[in-house]
Amino acid sequence: MSIKSVRRRIRARTRRQLYSFFSSLGSLLGHRLGTLMTVLVLGIAMALPLGLYVTLHNLRDLDLKQDEWGTITVFLNDEVTEAGAVEFARKVNQRLDASAVMISPDQGMEEFRKVSGFGQALDLFEENPLPWTLLVTPQAADSEELGARVTVLAAWIEEQEAVDIVQVDHKWMRRLSGLIGLGDALVTVLSVMFSLAVVVVVANTIRLDVGNRAEEIQVLSLIGADDSFIRQPFLYTGFWYGLLGALLALVLLSVSIFYLNRPLEQLLNAYGKSFELDGLGGLRVVFVLLAGGALGLCGAWVSVERYLRQLRVGGLPGRS
Amino acid sequence: MITFEHVSKRYPGAANALLDINFHLDAGEMVFLTGHSGAGKSTLLRLILLLEQATRGQVLVDGRNLSKTSPRLTPQVRQHIGMIFQDHKLLSDKTVFDNVSLPLIIAGMRYADIKKRVRAALDKVGLLSKEKSWPLTLSGGEQQRVGIARAIVGMPPILLADEPTGNLDPQLSRELFSLFQQLNEHGVTVMVASHDLSLIRAMGQRVLVLSGGRLIDDIPAAVSAAAVS
Repeated sequence: MSIKSVRRRIRARTRRQLYSFFSSLGSLLGHRLGTLMTVLVLGIAMALPLGLYVTLHNLRDLDLKQDEWGTITVFLNDEVTEAGAVEFARKVNQRLDASAVMISPDQGMEEFRKVSGFGQALDLFEENPLPWTLLVTPQAADSEELGARVTVLAAWIEEQEAVDIVQVDHKWMRRLSGLIGLGDALVTVLSVMFSLAVVVVVANTIRLDVGNRAEEIQVLSLIGADDSFIRQPFLYTGFWYGLLGALLALVLLSVSIFYLNRPLEQLLNAYGKSFELDGLGGLRVVFVLLAGGALGLCGAWVSVERYLRQLRVGGLPGRS
Repeated sequence: MITFEHVSKRYPGAANALLDINFHLDAGEMVFLTGHSGAGKSTLLRLILLLEQATRGQVLVDGRNLSKTSPRLTPQVRQHIGMIFQDHKLLSDKTVFDNVSLPLIIAGMRYADIKKRVRAALDKVGLLSKEKSWPLTLSGGEQQRVGIARAIVGMPPILLADEPTGNLDPQLSRELFSLFQQLNEHGVTVMVASHDLSLIRAMGQRVLVLSGGRLIDDIPAAVSAAAVS
């Protein structure tokens, strides 16, 4: 085969691809309502696992602020005076693995007044009911070690006479990270299930589309179209469905993030944390779009292949 | 160009549709295929178009043995044959121009060339002014001619027609047959199945006569032409 004829065949193939490309767009635009409904279903199906993923992604960001969560809050007995608190803090600081910060009852009240919004009601107290408080931070290289240190340290502090209550945020954090782990698994399960749903929805839509265009397929086959020429427009259509569905899912997600951002910020501010809800970044957006397109393509392929096989086995209908 | 060697075709649970058919058609020849309805005309054409496989014997088209052709190559065979159907088989959601251009799009031709070729084919059948019309707005005869334009636009070496005059009045039928004759004069091998005996006689071409699935007569063009004069 000469180079010239190879080139000619490549050009012919490209032109046929272009034709399929535009004819698939044309048929999508020709059935706007149907297209819209399919894309809506796909968008919602894809938005659910994506939403969960984004949620976990943000929770993990919290998780990373280990040192904060590793802090042990120690409330001292009511009877303990400033001198007693200083003495206790010195005792803690003497240990190599921890450092303590003191919070006086007045400081504590001031902060509580600011965060809680109980301002006026707090004035009703004749004297400050808050005890001296220490924030004890263990020194640790990583979260594993931190966990162990916190446990040991908390047990030791609990034994001390001056101590009333020991509050360990780290337990809470471990539970959170456990939940995140569970969530990760859930994202995987949901992604697989909803991907399957996307494939099935597209396959079904294309199956109906193929059925509606059975006559066209038969005529094309009669005048010499090969399988790939018949297949192409449907594959493109499936790809568009998936891509548009993914795009809609991303839009839904952005709207949700925008809507949830304010209340979440308020909630977390109440916990004394500053927080910015994170969406999906550039590369992930591209990935989601491509994955959506690929799933749509799979669905279309399944349907068209099945129909073409039927056509080959059953032969073309016609007079005999 | 087309050769049938001891070809039989039997549909499951039915009598023989074709039985031991033998004939040979040279390139550039024109032949009419006639017989009562049910005589096997359509089946014979369907064998050439690879819509059916012969039960026995072999069909050769352009040197290719169709019974040994892989299904993957079926499109190639069909691309070399222009087929005209009794029911036109036009796509109602495409314009006349788009319908006629399909074989060229399948071949992957450049759009500029497609435009030229489609216009030429439509001009040939006298429908150039209707290129933007929808098939369903055309009369039966016009639709048939669109089907012919689609069959010849790819300049296939073989043209098959299955009862092309089925729904046409005698005047249109004559015009159609002379169009086939013109195409034949340009070197296309033409095979027309028709039961319109009087019209076939008037053409003075070779005639194959089928009856009950058997080829009962093969009248050469010379004899046929002598009968005309």
